[in-house]
Amino acid sequence: MIEAKNVNFYYGDFHALKDINMTMETNTVTAFIGPSGCGKSTFLRLFNRMNDLIPGTRLEGQCLIDGEDIYAKSLRVDDLRKRVGMVFQKPNPFPKSIFENVAYGLRVNGVKDRAFIAQRVEESLRGAALWDEVKDKLKKSAFELSGGQQQRLCIARALAVSPSILLMDEPASALDPISTSKVEELIHSLKKDYTIVIVTHNMQQAARVSDKTGFFMLGELVEYNDTKKMFLNPDKVQTQNYITGRFG
Amino acid sequence: MMSKKTSQNIAFWVFRILGLVVVAILFWILGFIIYHGAGVINWKFLTTAPTDGMTGGGIFPAIVGTFCLIVGSMVVAFPLGVMSAIYTTEYAGNGKLVRFIRIMTNNLGSIPSIIFGLFGMALFVNALGFGDSIIAGSFTLGLLVLPLVIRTTEEALKAIPDSFRTGSLALGATKLQTIRRVILPMAFPNITTGLILSIGRVSGETAPILFTVAAYFLPKLPTSIYDQVMALPYHLYVIATSGTDLEATRPIAYGTALVLIIIVLLMNLLASFLRRHFGKKVKTN
Repeated sequence: MIEAKNVNFYYGDFHALKDINMTMETNTVTAFIGPSGCGKSTFLRLFNRMNDLIPGTRLEGQCLIDGEDIYAKSLRVDDLRKRVGMVFQKPNPFPKSIFENVAYGLRVNGVKDRAFIAQRVEESLRGAALWDEVKDKLKKSAFELSGGQQQRLCIARALAVSPSILLMDEPASALDPISTSKVEELIHSLKKDYTIVIVTHNMQQAARVSDKTGFFMLGELVEYNDTKKMFLNPDKVQTQNYITGRFG
Repeated sequence: MMSKKTSQNIAFWVFRILGLVVVAILFWILGFIIYHGAGVINWKFLTTAPTDGMTGGGIFPAIVGTFCLIVGSMVVAFPLGVMSAIYTTEYAGNGKLVRFIRIMTNNLGSIPSIIFGLFGMALFVNALGFGDSIIAGSFTLGLLVLPLVIRTTEEALKAIPDSFRTGSLALGATKLQTIRRVILPMAFPNITTGLILSIGRVSGETAPILFTVAAYFLPKLPTSIYDQVMALPYHLYVIATSGTDLEATRPIAYGTALVLIIIVLLMNLLASFLRRHFGKKVKTN
């Protein structure tokens, strides 16, 4: 379970997230939608502390994962990031072989057992629905894959370290429609093992893949509801306007 | 009034001719040295010490000396330069300290090489008691090329998109692991460029080795890093200006110059081969 309690976030003087309270249940898919610059990606990146990398930022309030404060002093950021995987907007495989890309997370965590690594690589590639396409060329460079395959490789790479949560920052926005539908199917099948939070610009995508949807605007969480209700009969008029395309 | 096309053509030809002029000058210098120097180069010239008051014999000790200094100065400058570049680009952010370091690095790069020679003599030869030696010369040359190594390494690191850093960090890698396993391998081909440039610079510099290592005449090969050596650029200077019989040594001077150029050329070819070899492996899309 992921919780945000009274979260405020600042880039320097800019108040990017305003008093957000939100709970995301285990083994569900939550989608964040909203116009560009509304803070949805910033909010997503709070949960694996990627915002720490940006100088001059400040967080108020609490972010909890299974009741544990992930900004506690005693917590190691690299341990947190093993538990909370992330997939980025643009596929960013390393300039290594397909195998080594997936094995990377295990290797940096000190896993040396070759048989175990090989097994995890296969499981992860299967989990990301990529195994059949790449099983004969695991030694080839990851850059030889298509954009869609690269993105699924990045998902496999994130799965390899056995996280419980997957954060996805517009994972399909740089992909063609066929690759997009593959990634969406994948999100469906991953739901039973992972808690997934996905940021998307694509309203249909949010409707297709998510159980719950949060609508962000100008740093505020305007509405957070079951996806079905959100798209059929939202509580707030701003949500209605955004979803029907009256602005955004 | 000239048509657009004509003025464009004229501009292209001006650029083309200027480009060719640069190439022509290069070939002229090379041709000049090859023409005068090729005659004296033979196996004996490359493998024996000077004889007859440096009017005969070869330049073997100077070749060995220059190689020692290349290796020695790289051992000094490379780890130091690469590590400071990693610090300034990957760790230090963009604070006052980093800007200060960067400005000072650039200043260091614009200090005349004779000053490095004097500084090297004062610090390494006298204060640290190395004496005139390979180690003193290597440290002096190492300091000289340090800014070059730092700058090229910084550029190499900055050229790598942040998405690779965030991708690695997001998998639970530490910053150090990210640098060692992802960033450095990717930057390696461009860091090698720094190595190429520094080797070229080191093998040709005379002033920094003048007071720190170079021997006027020393046919014996070095046996330790505390020995003096002859070096090609200084040898060239000696036989061109202060030999016992300048007319007799002129061909030897051209031969020495040619050998120096060939060494630099071979180093460059080796480095660019390495660069291409590794470049293939770490190509980004």
